[in-house]
Amino acid sequence: MAGCSSSVTMQMPTIPEPRIDKIPVDVALRIPAEFEHFVHVEEVLGKSTWTIDLGRSNADFFTQLFGHMFDTVVILGPDDDPREHQFDALIEPVIDGFEFSTPGQSQSEAFAVWIRYRMSIFDSVGNRASSWTVNAYGKSQKEEMGGGESLKRAAVLAMRDAAALIIMQMERATKISQLADGPLDPATADSDPMMAGAEQENKEPASVIGIFAIGGIDDAAE
Amino acid sequence: MQQSKFLLGFIGLSLAGCVTSRVEDARASVTGLAAGESVVIMAKSYHQGNETEGEYLACVEKSLGAGSKGINVIPHQQFVDELFPWFEPRTAPADTKGLPALMDRPGVADAVKGMGVRYMVWLDGDTERVAEGGSLSCAAGPGGGGCFGFAWWQNDADYEAAVWDLKENASAGTVSADVSGTSFLPALVIPIPLIARTQTRACKGLAQQLRAFIVQ
Repeated sequence: MAGCSSSVTMQMPTIPEPRIDKIPVDVALRIPAEFEHFVHVEEVLGKSTWTIDLGRSNADFFTQLFGHMFDTVVILGPDDDPREHQFDALIEPVIDGFEFSTPGQSQSEAFAVWIRYRMSIFDSVGNRASSWTVNAYGKSQKEEMGGGESLKRAAVLAMRDAAALIIMQMERATKISQLADGPLDPATADSDPMMAGAEQENKEPASVIGIFAIGGIDDAAE
Repeated sequence: MQQSKFLLGFIGLSLAGCVTSRVEDARASVTGLAAGESVVIMAKSYHQGNETEGEYLACVEKSLGAGSKGINVIPHQQFVDELFPWFEPRTAPADTKGLPALMDRPGVADAVKGMGVRYMVWLDGDTERVAEGGSLSCAAGPGGGGCFGFAWWQNDADYEAAVWDLKENASAGTVSADVSGTSFLPALVIPIPLIARTQTRACKGLAQQLRAFIVQ
């Protein structure tokens, strides 16, 4: 006897142009390797296995979002050397955790998705300026057989929730606009300085632990 | 031939469960809709525990705009996208007190004016199965199959629509629909479903009252 399995592939989410004033900072966005192909598998004990393939939707999401939020954005791949580019601040987002619940798990008629993003922000010479986590949530009623479309809708809503939080709170939480005035004074920089260049490739993400209401399973990119 | 058509029509009309409904409004201010003004229908946020179904929202949108007396309805997703991120489930204003500050944000008032939105309607509530009973069993074999028994269930649809006047930045009042429907499924070889369209009735009733409330 084998349980059922369902697979969902995310399309590129569209983040509408927000009604905000742009933050006057030139930003470099480093897309981590995990954003190119992120897959999450959730086993509902004794019932079914759900696989959600986010593909490179997270890379597209942050590219669109920061393009809307900042004056200029340079996109860097995981192997690019930031020292070859001009910017005021470098932002490196990672997925700290991804979870979802099915109607069977939550005893409701809805799918829910939780995403925890962590963003590390560095100044133009590689001092860590701040680290900030964003917990996003999306929920969608099951409206068709199987529920794959509902799960996708919940994931898109979670990404839009993250976008809304980042737009509303980023400046207050990270004071990123101060980096437009130049690099941090090393005396005031984060006690865990980290060169935003090649050295970081040897370093594990600071945290791969995500804590959520349901499940508590974490995953890195697959 | 005519007789069988009549019989089929009679059966079709009679194959519905029992539905009772109550639709009422509470007015806080004078309303009215000028030419070129429109309405947007929103679901109250799930962050506040609301579980209004997407299909119900779509039904109210469609019903309000339908017919010769239909009013202009801006599709809610278009409105939410135009005003991103201020009407996301987490960021949408919970009451009219937050409207003046929201309208002062860059481009918000212009976008609302550009779409001609005069009233924003916030839907709250859902349809739930509140009771069920009976027993129905089906069997099939090489010679055929069939069902025997009787099952029933009752759905309650409770919805409230809060109407905000964006010209006055104030509440115009509420319209509510409380519909209860019982469906039956008797089976003597063939099951005959007698379905109560509870949610649809709640949608049509609320939309009709909402239209009368707004247009006066």
